[in-house]
Amino acid sequence: MRWTPSSADNVMAQPLLELRGLRIAFDTDRGQIQPVQAVSFSIFPGQAMALVGESGCGKSVTALSILRLIPSPPGKVLDGQVLLQGRDLLQLSEKQMRSVRGKDIAMIFQEPMTSLNPVFTVGEQIVEAVKLHQRVDTRHARQIAEQAMHDVGIADPDKRLDEYPHRLSGGMRQRVMIAMALSCQPRLLIADEPTTALDVTIQAQILELLRNLRQERGMSILLITHDLGVVAGNADAVAVMYASKVVEYATVFDLFDSPQHPYTEGLFRAIPRLGRPGGRLATIAGTVPSPRRFPSGCKFHPRCPRMNGDPLCAQTEPALREVMPGHWAACHHVQGFAAKPITQPTIDFRRPAVPPVVEATQ
Amino acid sequence: MSAGAAPITVPPIDLDAAITASFWGRAIRDTFRNVGACIGLVWIVLLIIVAVLTPLLANTEPLIVKVNGKISWPMLRYLTPTDVILFILAAAVLIAAAFRRVSMGRRAMAVGAVLLITIPLAYIFVHPPVTVDWQEYRDLARAGRIQYELMAPLPYSANDYQRDDPSQVLQPPSRAHPLGTEANGGDVLSRMIHATRIALSIGLVSTGIAVIIGVAIGGLMGYFVGRIDILGMRLIEIFEAIPTLFLLITFVAFFGRSLMLIMVIIGLTTWTLEARFIRAEFLRLRKQDFVQAAIAGGLPLRSILFRHLLPNGIAPILVTSSFSIASAILLETYLSFLGLGPVDAPSWGQMLNQLLGVAGTFVWWIAIYPGLAIFLTVFAYNLLGEALRDALDPKLSR
Repeated sequence: MRWTPSSADNVMAQPLLELRGLRIAFDTDRGQIQPVQAVSFSIFPGQAMALVGESGCGKSVTALSILRLIPSPPGKVLDGQVLLQGRDLLQLSEKQMRSVRGKDIAMIFQEPMTSLNPVFTVGEQIVEAVKLHQRVDTRHARQIAEQAMHDVGIADPDKRLDEYPHRLSGGMRQRVMIAMALSCQPRLLIADEPTTALDVTIQAQILELLRNLRQERGMSILLITHDLGVVAGNADAVAVMYASKVVEYATVFDLFDSPQHPYTEGLFRAIPRLGRPGGRLATIAGTVPSPRRFPSGCKFHPRCPRMNGDPLCAQTEPALREVMPGHWAACHHVQGFAAKPITQPTIDFRRPAVPPVVEATQ
Repeated sequence: MSAGAAPITVPPIDLDAAITASFWGRAIRDTFRNVGACIGLVWIVLLIIVAVLTPLLANTEPLIVKVNGKISWPMLRYLTPTDVILFILAAAVLIAAAFRRVSMGRRAMAVGAVLLITIPLAYIFVHPPVTVDWQEYRDLARAGRIQYELMAPLPYSANDYQRDDPSQVLQPPSRAHPLGTEANGGDVLSRMIHATRIALSIGLVSTGIAVIIGVAIGGLMGYFVGRIDILGMRLIEIFEAIPTLFLLITFVAFFGRSLMLIMVIIGLTTWTLEARFIRAEFLRLRKQDFVQAAIAGGLPLRSILFRHLLPNGIAPILVTSSFSIASAILLETYLSFLGLGPVDAPSWGQMLNQLLGVAGTFVWWIAIYPGLAIFLTVFAYNLLGEALRDALDPKLSR
């Protein structure tokens, strides 16, 4: 199925990255599993898009497959496209792909403690990355590295460049990883749970850093997280994944104001609130299904409070439909669901920059 | 009294320098905190010095001699290409060690370049006389025609047999022959000094060959896994089934007793251990975040393999290779003891071989001194290996 731009598309900006019906399979000893099924979303220049979901829902596999980092075998792409400004990354040769990695799309990982090579200094590692993607000599590359270290808020960057990773703290190493990613000026930064391994204050600093860098450079960010607080504070658009599929996709405001999918509703109920009388925290009944034994029909139906024995839920898997303009969801029990159109999910929305708080002067 | 108390001065602790060291800096420091490793290193360095300076330490030819008013350097005339290469290599290593500001890799490359240039030149230009007249200067001295001569500390070359002189055969240790003489009049200490070269080179060259093959095959297996891994594993199993000592005996029987052949065969049959270790390391490392991050950063395969995997996975190889060196030395010793070692070149094992009958009787100085040298060398490498293993294994050292 070829995608043809309609007149409406011409008016809108072109998305930087677009996933169309991505389906990924892994061959295992006990048959094939599909941790990512028909995943579609888009990221626009300067946009922060959050991919949310529980562990094992396929969000990391989705991110890795954008850079084609899925080990193959056993992994393979069954179907779908990953379009970077209209160019399908899945069709590129490995050599072409290498020039995309790091240069157009950079990635930072969850665990900063192990993301740096222990036998080389921080500077040597950044310089290597810079020299790879930009035709500069070592001295110039070092200046770029120093600037990048400065930009991510590392004091005394000249000195820090000559340090080995084991001398840096976790937050510092994550900053170095971000500096390394930024030094090649990518257009998209994939951040796979960038703050999960850090403590809360460092987490806030790193997120603020990412927010500032995005605003200054117009870089897009794909933020992978399971932390709805992080999503609320940073994302423009949100895709909620459950058991290999995107079940809801909307702007951050639409999603938090009027969640359409029962899974998203369940997630919000499970957030502890300050100042609300105690009692047990609401949970979603049941457990996340294993990719080996996905339920039939809607994958959420065994845990769904809306189902009420509806045979449709157990038999037919709902597609991701545009239930409201600019708001996609996949649930039979959304009002008038069957009549809603199936469209390529794109949300060209950036939240307004928060104006700095100014104290009122008398 | 306390009115003019001097301000307390705290000596600055150079904490920075203490923890700035690189991974290898720390590993080396931890290794040589171990007393055993230091003893092992001292012995091996001693052997290296002796091996390099062999012609200056034990030589029948005078270093400088003045005959009929003419000064000459007979020792220089008899230098072999090997002597010359070792001198230049040692000088290059010492000079490189002095340039502390240049990076380690660059210094190693410079030494390698010197070696590559020296080897062909030495073989082209250095031609020692084929036949040696051991008695030349001794006769001149006896005739009183030498006005001045400077001899090596031990004035006997390894192959300077004095079998025609019954007073020199099978002598117990004495002032002239500190460790006694052999059945054919060779000086035991001189032959042991000349044998250090074989002892060192057999271990280093054969293990070097084994490491290169093992790292190449094991590294490919560990990084590419799948079919390459399965094929490589079968290859390893085939090579592990080869009995090295019997293969060596067979090859020596058919192709002659050449040191080079022995080293190559030991190297070609013992790489499997190195391959297994590097495979396991690469399998572990390729899943690590920094390798994934390097791939995600678009770094080429060359960089992934040689900058990210190899330097992080080579540590266990250093440990195994020090044990491999020890076992290669022992293999050569077995072979020489059986009388199948390198022709004519003195080696410790070959000296022990004399006990099998040439000497006609048990001669304690031929048994103990070469035996002790073999024992100490193997022990030294094992001590180094153990200390390296402890230093590189964080679970054991902390």
